Amino acid sequence: MKPAPFDYLRAESVAHAVQSLADAGGDGKVIAGGQSLMPMMNFRLVKPSLLVDINHIPDLAGIRQQGGRLGIGALVRHRTTAADPVIARHVPVLHAAMRHVAHLTVRNRGTFCGSVCHADPAAEMPMIALLLDGTVQTATPRGGRRLPARDFFLGPLMTALEPDELVTEIEMDTLPADTGWGFEEFARRHGDYALAAVAVTVDRQDGRAAGPRIAVMGVGDRPMRMPEAEAALDGSDMGEAAIDAAVEALRATIAPNADLHASADYRRHLAGVLAGRALRGAWTRARERLAA
Amino acid sequence: MTGAPDAVELRPKLVGQRVRRTEDPRLLAGAGRYVDDLTPPGALHVAIRRSDQPHARIRGIGATEALALPGVVAVFDARDLEGMIRPAIPASRMAGYHATPIWPLARGTVRYVGEPVVAVLAESRYVAEDALELVAIDYEPLPFAIRAADAAADGAPLLHEDAGTNVIIAREFARGDVDAVFRDAPVIVGGRFRMTRKTAVAMENRSYLAAWDRGRAALTLHSSTNIPGIIRDVLAGCLELPGNRLRVVAPDVGGSFGGKGSLYQEEMLVAALARRLERPVKFTSDRLEDLSATSQAFDEVIEAELALDAEGMLLGLRAEVTGDIGAYSIYPWTGALEPVQVASFLPGPYRLAHYRGRVRGVLTPKPPTGPYRGVGRPSSTFAMERLIDMAARKLGMDPMEIRRRNLVTAPEFPYRTASGIVWDRSAFQECLAAACDHADYPALLRARDAARAAGRWVGIGLASYAELTGIGSRISVAPGMPINTGTETAAIRIDATGAVTAAFGIASHGQGLETTLAQVIADELGCRMEDVEVQHGDSALLPASSGTYASRSAVLAGGAATLSARVVKAKLLRAAAHLMDVPAEALEASGGIIRARSSNTSMSFQEVAQAVYAGMGRIPREQREELTASETYDPYLGTAGSATHLAMVEIDPGTYGVTVTRYVVAEDCGRIINPLIVDGQVQGGVAQGIGAALLEEVVHDDDGQCVTASLADYLVPIATGMPEIGIVHVEAVLPATLGGFRGMGEGGTIGAPAAIANAVADALSPLGIEVDTLPVTPDRIFRMVEAARLRNPGQRTGA
Ligand SMILES: Cc1cc2nc3c(=O)[nH]c(=O)nc-3n(C[C@H](O)[C@H](O)[C@H](O)COP(=O)(O)OP(=O)(O)OC[C@H]3O[C@@H](n4cnc5c(N)ncnc54)[C@H](O)[C@@H]3O)c2cc1C
Repeated sequence: MKPAPFDYLRAESVAHAVQSLADAGGDGKVIAGGQSLMPMMNFRLVKPSLLVDINHIPDLAGIRQQGGRLGIGALVRHRTTAADPVIARHVPVLHAAMRHVAHLTVRNRGTFCGSVCHADPAAEMPMIALLLDGTVQTATPRGGRRLPARDFFLGPLMTALEPDELVTEIEMDTLPADTGWGFEEFARRHGDYALAAVAVTVDRQDGRAAGPRIAVMGVGDRPMRMPEAEAALDGSDMGEAAIDAAVEALRATIAPNADLHASADYRRHLAGVLAGRALRGAWTRARERLAA
Repeated sequence: MTGAPDAVELRPKLVGQRVRRTEDPRLLAGAGRYVDDLTPPGALHVAIRRSDQPHARIRGIGATEALALPGVVAVFDARDLEGMIRPAIPASRMAGYHATPIWPLARGTVRYVGEPVVAVLAESRYVAEDALELVAIDYEPLPFAIRAADAAADGAPLLHEDAGTNVIIAREFARGDVDAVFRDAPVIVGGRFRMTRKTAVAMENRSYLAAWDRGRAALTLHSSTNIPGIIRDVLAGCLELPGNRLRVVAPDVGGSFGGKGSLYQEEMLVAALARRLERPVKFTSDRLEDLSATSQAFDEVIEAELALDAEGMLLGLRAEVTGDIGAYSIYPWTGALEPVQVASFLPGPYRLAHYRGRVRGVLTPKPPTGPYRGVGRPSSTFAMERLIDMAARKLGMDPMEIRRRNLVTAPEFPYRTASGIVWDRSAFQECLAAACDHADYPALLRARDAARAAGRWVGIGLASYAELTGIGSRISVAPGMPINTGTETAAIRIDATGAVTAAFGIASHGQGLETTLAQVIADELGCRMEDVEVQHGDSALLPASSGTYASRSAVLAGGAATLSARVVKAKLLRAAAHLMDVPAEALEASGGIIRARSSNTSMSFQEVAQAVYAGMGRIPREQREELTASETYDPYLGTAGSATHLAMVEIDPGTYGVTVTRYVVAEDCGRIINPLIVDGQVQGGVAQGIGAALLEEVVHDDDGQCVTASLADYLVPIATGMPEIGIVHVEAVLPATLGGFRGMGEGGTIGAPAAIANAVADALSPLGIEVDTLPVTPDRIFRMVEAARLRNPGQRTGA
């Protein structure tokens, strides 16, 4: 379990990084926390000829909140995301999700943006980016792009990024204090990648659900929003019948894979159970939205 | 505390105290020395190309490209090794057994995915791995049967042609007339229990370093093994080297749990290559290799039935055990070790007149199975304890009560089990009572019933077992194995500075034996613990040795330490008596000082030792004795260790996640040398057993590939998932071993899978579900619940 030979480059700036990636002609890889990349290199599943280390680029480690959006820079570690008071207060669903991510040593190095770029179908952060209508801000030698999270994930470990594209920040909605949210995950052991997880947000207007958002992970080749289930709930009273209908819609939408840890049927069952719990939790947390 | 004929003197001493482990400052501060820490100048690193085929003929191997890579020194396959080393033969006297020879690299045929085929030697492991990708192997796939049931069937493709069958082990244990008992029995329960394949996952991967001393024509192998003596002896034959020019050293070893307790092909390989190339040769397994090629465990199907009378008394037991032993019989234990012990231990600690247990060991294209903490008994206890609970449920009897009625009682000892094992005496009944007392069993039952009434899935499980520990020369540790594992020698010396050195044949690899043996010796000699240096894990220390396994070291090495220390002490006191001019009987030693009881004269160990060794003429020539002794202890039989485990679990009725909420162990390990260490062994063992019950499973798919070859897929328990474990030490009548010690290193893994299985089954009992496969994963519970739902459509089955 030793990686194949590679060159290492310590990038001094975003421009330096993307130019180096471009020069590597598609054979370069960004290394951020290295918590997913290094295992893959040690298994020789990926053999980049060049590693571009972005850890020393200044000004990428910030978390900023602006006009209902939260920006997380490329060098924000899981540990910071989990402990940040602004996130705890304004994006509590992300705060809750971080409790399930890996273990201390991994959290000390792994980055939010790295996790999203890695695009594991059972990772929490890509799902949260999707749930909160995230936007991925990138840089390339030809300039940057803003990619909506819903267009970003193409499949397991596959994203819309070009080989010379660096993610500099990921932006997502903050949640108003009266928005309800829920996060439910089940893993074989705490800190493992989930067998399934569900995250939801919902507003409450005149005692009815408004603009519910539901995202699931671990039950497909990428994190997914559940438009059918969202539609089933929108405007409902969030009673047991409405939640059951949403759960059924969700179960009908997904087509989970079977793997070592779970059969497809169990995953479908599990996603429904977690969705029901997340929705009930979210509704309990939601408070009546005052007319603007 | 009576009953031990050779009890140590009844002064309050080190034995019995919670002495901190003397190994820990070294190990915890990074000052330990493991094989991989040793890299002599000029060492070559080996990387191994392993078979990606479950069964295939090797048509050709191309290494030209690999050899051309800068830094690559040599590439070897089996043909290049011809004449360099002979195979190891895992022999056994068992009737009908076929021994499959062990060669360092696959010879002509590969028989499991992960089997070593080609060795690349390079200046670094990185280069060696680069070169591996350039080795071309041309395989001709051969037919195979990956499941034991298929491999055992008539006409199945053979893995070893010359064996003529895949069933290389078949044995039967029988007593009484079991079929007659079953004909008339009022209550019969039965099941098909499956303990899936596991692997030990020691923190340190296997690692070997061989160095050839050209000047002396001698070989030293540093090996992360727990049986250095056995490895020395077998390699002496394979390499045709005398024992004085072949040394096997196990330095600090980071756990084994059985996985490092057998001969490995890579040990043979580095030894042969170091001699051939006259350079140190090192191999360190990575985790992928560890998970796909270290010996694996269990993998048994136990079809068993239990007959009882209306009062819940056991009448008869019959069982068919099929063990999937993998592709080769392992050295020295053979593939019989695990499955045969399932059949021999199945009757457990219970009074049972009629038994028939048949067992088969079947070759399949998987890594060989070998020892794993608990050997056989985790599986046998799982099956038997499940049957006991199923019977209790059928009879409407409390699980504790049915055990109380059937566990062998004190007056019945020594008790010969239906399979012929003799329980000398052990606290079977007392452990059951103590576990239930400690947990407040009646209160626990009430709490469970209240939770159940509230719709929660809560269950309680008991498991009682007995195991044979400290086995002497009368009994072979593995069936029919021709190697003596029943004796242990301690060579103790007081040197010219008065320091004590004690050399053993054991090989401690995490058990804390440096501490416990020093406690025993310090007590016997009357010195301080820090005066005693315990040496172990080195074949050069003693003429013959084996190692640490089978819960033998505390009993056998403890006994040998006692015997040798007594001889040394007698010599020391004779010398002191002469020097102090008092009779030896008037002297006593403690804390490293020898005092005359009647006067206030005293001498230190150091003063006496200096006088003996360095003081010209201070001791008359004809009285002078070296302060050394080398005595051997053989407990002849073994002694029973026993325990009852109690577990309480809660199952999430939606996700089917299982949480262990309560855990209690009451165990009898005889006189306790060090309760701190015993507690650690119990806790570690229980954690491992919980892993076996809920998480761990080696899976080979239908193509013969191991799909659990990373720690993301082979799930071991982690500290944060462990319950608080309550431990009660029951010290009943001591066994007849020297010092009254019993072995106890394996008990945790024996009791926990059964206790957890019973607790999960209890939690699911309102649905009419029985647990028959471990690990009982959320997915398995889901499928059982779904099936129950189909059986009883009206029933509520959770969220
Ligand atoms: C034992 C263990 C347990 C884990 N458990 C979990 C878990 O429960 N949940 C979970 O979500 N994750 C888990 N992880 C993964 C962890 O969260 C990773 O840190 C994360 O997925 C990747 O972040 P990183 O910064 O380490 O990225 P790296 O490993 O450095 O990179 C990952 C990939 O993203 C690319 N990349 C990284 N940053 C950028 C960027 N700014 N722009 C463009 N491309 C980039 C890399 O080129 C690479 O392809 C676990 C990891 C381990 C080792």
